[in-house]
Amino acid sequence: MRSRFYRNPVGVSKFTGLILILPFIIGAVLFIIYPFIYSFIVGLKDTNGGLSLDNYRNILTDSSSRRTLFVTLKYTAVLVPLKLIVSLLAALLLNCELKGIGIFRTAFYIPSILGSNIAVIIMWQYLFTSDGLVNQLLKAVGISPVGWYGDPNYALFIIVLLRLWEFGSTMVIFLAGLRNIPKELYDAAKVDGCGRIRAFFSITLPQLKNIIFINLILQTIAAMQEFNAPYLITGGGPLGSTRTVGMHIYDEMFRFGDEGTANAISWLLFAVIGIIIILLYRFTEKLRRD
Amino acid sequence: MRKFLLYLILAVIGIIMLYPLLWLFGASFKSNDEIFTTIWFIPKSFDAEVYKNAWVTVTPYTMGHYFVNTFLIIIPKTVFAVLSSLLVAYGFARFDFPLKKLFSALLMCGMLMPSIVTILPMYRMWSSLGLLDTYIPLTLPSLFACEGMFVFILIQFLKRVPKEFDEAARIDGCGTIKTLFLVLMPCIRPAVISIAVFTFLWTMNDFLSPLIMIQSVEKYPLSLALRLSVDSTGQGYEQRKIIAMSVIGLIPSVAVFALAQKKFISGITAGGLSG
Amino acid sequence: MKKNILKTAALCCIISLSACSDKKDYSVTMPDGTLDKCSLRFSWWGGDDRHEATLKAIDLWNQKNPDITIIPEYGGWDGWAEKMNSQVSSGTEPDIMQINYDWLISMSPDGDGFYDLDKLSSQIDLSQFDNEVLSFGRVGEKLNAVAVSVSGRSLFYNSEVFSRMGADYPETWSDLIALGNKFGESGLYPLDLDIQSGGTAWYLAVVYIQQQTGRQFITPNGELGFTVEDIKAALSFYKKLEDSHVIRTVRTRTDEDGNAALYQSSEFIGGRVAGVLEWGSAVGKYESVLPDGILEAGPLLTDEKGCSDGWMIKPSLLYAVSKRTKHPDEAAAFINFMLNDEKCADILGTTRGIPASRSAESALEKSGSLKGLAKECNDILERSETVTISPYMELSRMKEFYNTAIESVSYGTADVDSAAKQMFSSVNNYLEKIRK
Repeated sequence: MRSRFYRNPVGVSKFTGLILILPFIIGAVLFIIYPFIYSFIVGLKDTNGGLSLDNYRNILTDSSSRRTLFVTLKYTAVLVPLKLIVSLLAALLLNCELKGIGIFRTAFYIPSILGSNIAVIIMWQYLFTSDGLVNQLLKAVGISPVGWYGDPNYALFIIVLLRLWEFGSTMVIFLAGLRNIPKELYDAAKVDGCGRIRAFFSITLPQLKNIIFINLILQTIAAMQEFNAPYLITGGGPLGSTRTVGMHIYDEMFRFGDEGTANAISWLLFAVIGIIIILLYRFTEKLRRD
Repeated sequence: MRKFLLYLILAVIGIIMLYPLLWLFGASFKSNDEIFTTIWFIPKSFDAEVYKNAWVTVTPYTMGHYFVNTFLIIIPKTVFAVLSSLLVAYGFARFDFPLKKLFSALLMCGMLMPSIVTILPMYRMWSSLGLLDTYIPLTLPSLFACEGMFVFILIQFLKRVPKEFDEAARIDGCGTIKTLFLVLMPCIRPAVISIAVFTFLWTMNDFLSPLIMIQSVEKYPLSLALRLSVDSTGQGYEQRKIIAMSVIGLIPSVAVFALAQKKFISGITAGGLSG
Repeated sequence: MKKNILKTAALCCIISLSACSDKKDYSVTMPDGTLDKCSLRFSWWGGDDRHEATLKAIDLWNQKNPDITIIPEYGGWDGWAEKMNSQVSSGTEPDIMQINYDWLISMSPDGDGFYDLDKLSSQIDLSQFDNEVLSFGRVGEKLNAVAVSVSGRSLFYNSEVFSRMGADYPETWSDLIALGNKFGESGLYPLDLDIQSGGTAWYLAVVYIQQQTGRQFITPNGELGFTVEDIKAALSFYKKLEDSHVIRTVRTRTDEDGNAALYQSSEFIGGRVAGVLEWGSAVGKYESVLPDGILEAGPLLTDEKGCSDGWMIKPSLLYAVSKRTKHPDEAAAFINFMLNDEKCADILGTTRGIPASRSAESALEKSGSLKGLAKECNDILERSETVTISPYMELSRMKEFYNTAIESVSYGTADVDSAAKQMFSSVNNYLEKIRK
């Protein structure tokens, strides 16, 4: 084995790191490797009890399964950029030292706490049903109302809006990142006559590079795995237009009791998300390098 | 003038964010038909009886008992999660070691798999260890930094702390662990607090795991107790009681967040190499 | 590095072996005729009223039988099926369980999933039940569970709206269609059918065709009784209901109500939708959102000759015993108490529906608790020649097939012909796969 040079601070052995992540190593075996292998094998089980690729074949040839992937990708592509922008704006807004800002920070975070509460379901119905608030606003501006819940082309936006409204967690991470930016940078910029907007683009954004990346990755993973929101609000939507892969897995596993198919879909989803993440890493490599 | 405008924007957005909570509180006093037809949050009448009934529950235990159960799960879980995530993130962010790439990949993988899939194998594992109906399946995984998301966040935040801090600490005689807790952690305190808050809030809302792992009603955490009253075929049940229960259940989450976000204000801004 | 690979490979083998091996070994404990001291786990789901009543009933049992302790495990419906599935598939289920009708097929497809209660007939007084009711709990020849109560869907109407419109409750299918046209002129609907929470759309269409043809949609042992033509006729009938303004189209309904059940809809509460097809045991939800006494039961729809066949019933809940229980006699004794004991019946009331057990029902009649829409619905169904819903018809995946067909016909993405062919083959293939 070629000996490798381990870049560690002076006096630190190459095993210190290993010892530090020891809890993770144990945890990985018990809670990642074991369920993964278990799930992989179950995914290969067919109806006769033997091992075969039947489950995978069935899923890939089923048009409604392929549709769920398309719906999920569409959902992710729309939601993630919007969510990042909204959360960042909110975090900037809440980063000031105004008196009572704490109340607003808590208020902005409440949607994330509510989760799958019945209040959310009823609120969303109030907004988007045919006599709902959104349609009334549209009418007031002269646009003809839309059947949000019932139209396969529009139902997905109801879900997107729900998750967008719950920007709390992403915003909190941005806030944490903003708090870490040294004030001196802004002071120096002011002295140089830098305007606020310029300061945002030349100081804030670059300093937040890592944080934006965290949120991008985490939100993409979360969006690809989405299940709760469509399950509660549209139940998979008119003609399957809001049926995500996450819902498909849940249905197979818990409603139909088909563990094999559920696990097979999960592995396929895992592979797709993995590819997306790798692509994201590659494309942002240059931007992230300091 | 600028301040007033700011407050105005904050207030408008705040109302949009808060309205469902207001509505929920008002709905706990409404009759069934009122709940499903009126959107204004002020109810026709206020009757605090519903909160008394909700607190007592029809089980032999009060909501207080379920609160305690929840804290028995959340507090160890949060402590474990923060400690182990910090250690592991520190290892990944600052050190180089054999198989690092493999473990990094494993970390990512852990985040990618939907949790639904891991529930049944975990159930079978805990069942064969005889640990069902205890809080161990719910708290122990946090000791092993299984929440890949937290480790990932901390790694990224740690990477932003200049390596010079480590060296300065080393010169001052700090060992590896001391460097982490005395020097690095304060720098990323907002991130650490965020992780603690997330663990708290997500555990409060976590419903499927306790449902599957816990059998005795005595050990139910709040999230299960809240769902006790909801049947598929209700015989004239009162929605408002269920809503009152969920209002009671939300109070700790809101309180914890309100307290925690204060720490953000006092979170230091890394002021260069001084100090 | 090599060592690590070897270790990981070994770990994989061990894990894969354990993943392949199914449930733990067990042997069925035979009844010994005596009631020993023990503690039994009993699980059920429900709402507050059912929990309260059941806990009181368990108290009564513990007083009468201090040697046999019952440990209650209960919760709301949300997630309970998942919980039961995990338990049964891992062999950790409670001794006595309240189960749903379709779980008989999903958890005991060959009849061996639960304890054979025929063996325990010395402890359970099965004579209190009609043979037909007992057959609900049979899989193959074995008695897997005993039905607690029997329920079926029937029609309920908003009397205030009907009297305002000067209309009578429909008695035949053509009455219903005519009503649709009449109500339609005022923008009202006499009924509502959905494909989401209740899945009532396909239900009514099936009833209609079963009445017309005398064929049962799915037979009790899982055969598809309808032909493609029958399914086509059923879907056409559904489309006719939409076209005659009897019900809202799926799109309109979803636009107006979102994903909600009808009792949460302001259209129903406000009287724009004046009828519902609901289980007798669950109609309380609808009563609670309308003013007292407004909701009334209507007759089962018949054909022109007055024949009301084709309407369906099923056991709403059943009690089963785990096949791994170490105390079958004691478990059976407790089930007997819950089903047949008169004092217990008084305590439980109608929280699990109108009891199927004769002794329990007469106890309730004596105490005067047998009244209301649930009882009326029960009586209406008892008076006619009802068909037992096959447990196969209730399986979740089957419901997906029905709902997909109805939705595509309603939205017009498929014509009745192709939707019928699609449902026919999906249902057939699926039934073949799971039939044992």
